[in-house]
Amino acid sequence: MIHFDEMACLLYLEGQLDAARSRELAAHVEECAPCRELLHALESETTLLSSALTEENESIPARLLGEHTRRLPAWAWTLAFGVFAAGVYWLWIDGIGPLFDQFSSAGFGGTDLFSMIVFSGAFWEGWSDIMDAIQIGVVVLLAIVAIEWIRRRLRRSAAIAVVVSALLLAVALPQRASAADVRRGRAILIPAGDVVHNDLVVIGPSVRIDGTVEGDVIAFTRSLTVTGHVTGDVIAFAGGVAIDGNVDGNVRVMSHSMILEGTTGKNISVIANTLELTSKGNVGGEAIVLATDADLDGKIQRDLLGLFGRGDLEGLIGGEAWIRGGSLEVASTAEIRGPATYEGPQQPIVEAGAKLASPIRTEITQGMRRTRMTTARTAVRAVFGYAALLAVGILLLLIFPGFFRATLREAGSIGLPIGVGALALISGGFLLVLGVLLLFVGVGAGMASVMAYAPVLYVAHIFVGVWLGNRIRGESPDNTSAIIGRMALGLLILRVVELVPVVGWLVWLAVVLWGTGAVLMGFYRTSRLQSAPVPA
Amino acid sequence: MSPAEQAATQERIALAKAGNSEAWGELYREHAPAIFRFCRRAMPTREDAEDATMDIFIKVRQKLSQYDATRPFSAWLYTVAANHCWDLLRRRKLRQDLETGEVENMPLEHPDPGQLTQLIEKRTGQEVRRALDKLPARSRMALVLRYYSDMSYDDIAATLGVRRTFVGVVLLRARHQLREILEGQGGASLAAGGAS
Repeated sequence: MIHFDEMACLLYLEGQLDAARSRELAAHVEECAPCRELLHALESETTLLSSALTEENESIPARLLGEHTRRLPAWAWTLAFGVFAAGVYWLWIDGIGPLFDQFSSAGFGGTDLFSMIVFSGAFWEGWSDIMDAIQIGVVVLLAIVAIEWIRRRLRRSAAIAVVVSALLLAVALPQRASAADVRRGRAILIPAGDVVHNDLVVIGPSVRIDGTVEGDVIAFTRSLTVTGHVTGDVIAFAGGVAIDGNVDGNVRVMSHSMILEGTTGKNISVIANTLELTSKGNVGGEAIVLATDADLDGKIQRDLLGLFGRGDLEGLIGGEAWIRGGSLEVASTAEIRGPATYEGPQQPIVEAGAKLASPIRTEITQGMRRTRMTTARTAVRAVFGYAALLAVGILLLLIFPGFFRATLREAGSIGLPIGVGALALISGGFLLVLGVLLLFVGVGAGMASVMAYAPVLYVAHIFVGVWLGNRIRGESPDNTSAIIGRMALGLLILRVVELVPVVGWLVWLAVVLWGTGAVLMGFYRTSRLQSAPVPA
Repeated sequence: MSPAEQAATQERIALAKAGNSEAWGELYREHAPAIFRFCRRAMPTREDAEDATMDIFIKVRQKLSQYDATRPFSAWLYTVAANHCWDLLRRRKLRQDLETGEVENMPLEHPDPGQLTQLIEKRTGQEVRRALDKLPARSRMALVLRYYSDMSYDDIAATLGVRRTFVGVVLLRARHQLREILEGQGGASLAAGGAS
């Protein structure tokens, strides 16, 4: 007997055979036991497959159900606020308070230190340059594009892993000093001949190290003098630092004045009002110097990156030199072995006899001397800033309409985004502090953590602006030009209100918290729920 | 689905098309679990299935105006879902071993019905699901489309990009592969042996 093959049997079961062949098979099966059995077996297989596939053995993930994210109850943001308040309190009691105490017992108040270092000399101009609206706008767009790019290419778990490991790394880095020898006192002295076999943390008005420290020295002090030997790094927040001895590692200093007369094995990073590298001084590696007044008479074996108010080069730079500043003098005794670049308002003065690998490439910059802004300039800047923010808002709306609308919806619930924003900024505050600390450990990591927040803070205004516009002009229909109109109106009002002295500052704070929360929640929605499947 | 339910679904679709987010939300909640389960069967991991489900609904919302109301909504949904998942899998190059030529040349042998019945009777749904996860993407997809989504041979052909006449071959081949895997967990060789 000729049997039907398995294919024919399957097609018969699935109703895919034509009528004539179906009848033929049905008739055959009546008489042929093996084919009948095969048909039954295939049918049971179908049943098994269907039931295996349709059995509801797995729960639906909560994030797909969506309800839980639709509206968080009032207690959630009350809790967020509570945590925020507790966070501020804790940060103050355990973090900032003791830090200020340390600064005070070290001989100066925090405000003095801050204003001395950040708002004096060449730095302030640098800050204001960085904060230029257009630059931030560009950074914002780049960041958004980068996030979008990463989101599309990285699987969610991978992205989370990257963020978590970055955070862990950031947290793990500064823990080296945890087992250190901590000393406090009015005058701390490590006498010549003494050896500290550990990292040394010193807090007090005056610190003098004549002996040997086998480890790092971390100092909070008014005056730090090192005439002995430090085998690790020297990290100092100080009024004045003088290093006559030997440091085998790096020297990272934030100080009013700094004199380096000894040798350092590795790199130096100095933020100071005045820096003097004497003719006996020797830096084994690179130097990063931010100083109002810098006299570099000694040797820097590798590259120099300098931001000076006034710079004076009399010694050696073994590598490349990149200098930006108000003025630069290169004496006849100076030697630069690599290419040199200078940016400043006037030509550098180079004495005859100075040994340069190549002539200093000079770029004359305008506006380096600006110290005070005129009222007209402030007004122009305000208008410019408003236009830049509006442009970024429009670009956001056009490039990422989904994200924009999702964020706008989040902004509408007011309380929750403010709570989220507050929480985010508190954790951001920690990152910022960490970032500043890291600045002394690794410039890249510190800057990255600080820069990550800037774009979010910047775009925060946009969403609150649209919300405000909607309040004034009525809820917007879902069309782009109406949203842009409301954005323009809302932002204008916010900008004007923020010019009012005290109230303006409070409004700014509220807007930043509110908008930041909305942006973060918008990100969350667009990256996880995509906001489209679930109604608002 | 009763006619009343169908009418309610059609009304929701009409509202959602007009931009009513409440109606869209209801549609989503009604169909998301089934689509997630479909994706869970079609995609290798749970996470892939979650992501795919969300992407599918975004697509569906965008394409809602293209939906032809004379077709059942769930069938249309499955088509969108199947195309999306298949597209993802194809892009990941998970079907290197599945080019169409191979399907055409596959020998079809008659298994021993007794042994096949024995094998089927011994297996639980969970074992079958585990075996399905080990199948090559196209085989798994074909079985899911047919036995989970109840898709017609025409739709399966369109989704997988094979000729309609080969859908049966793809399905049968998938069954053979599945049997091989199930046998690997114990039992006699069935996929390529037996009486003819």
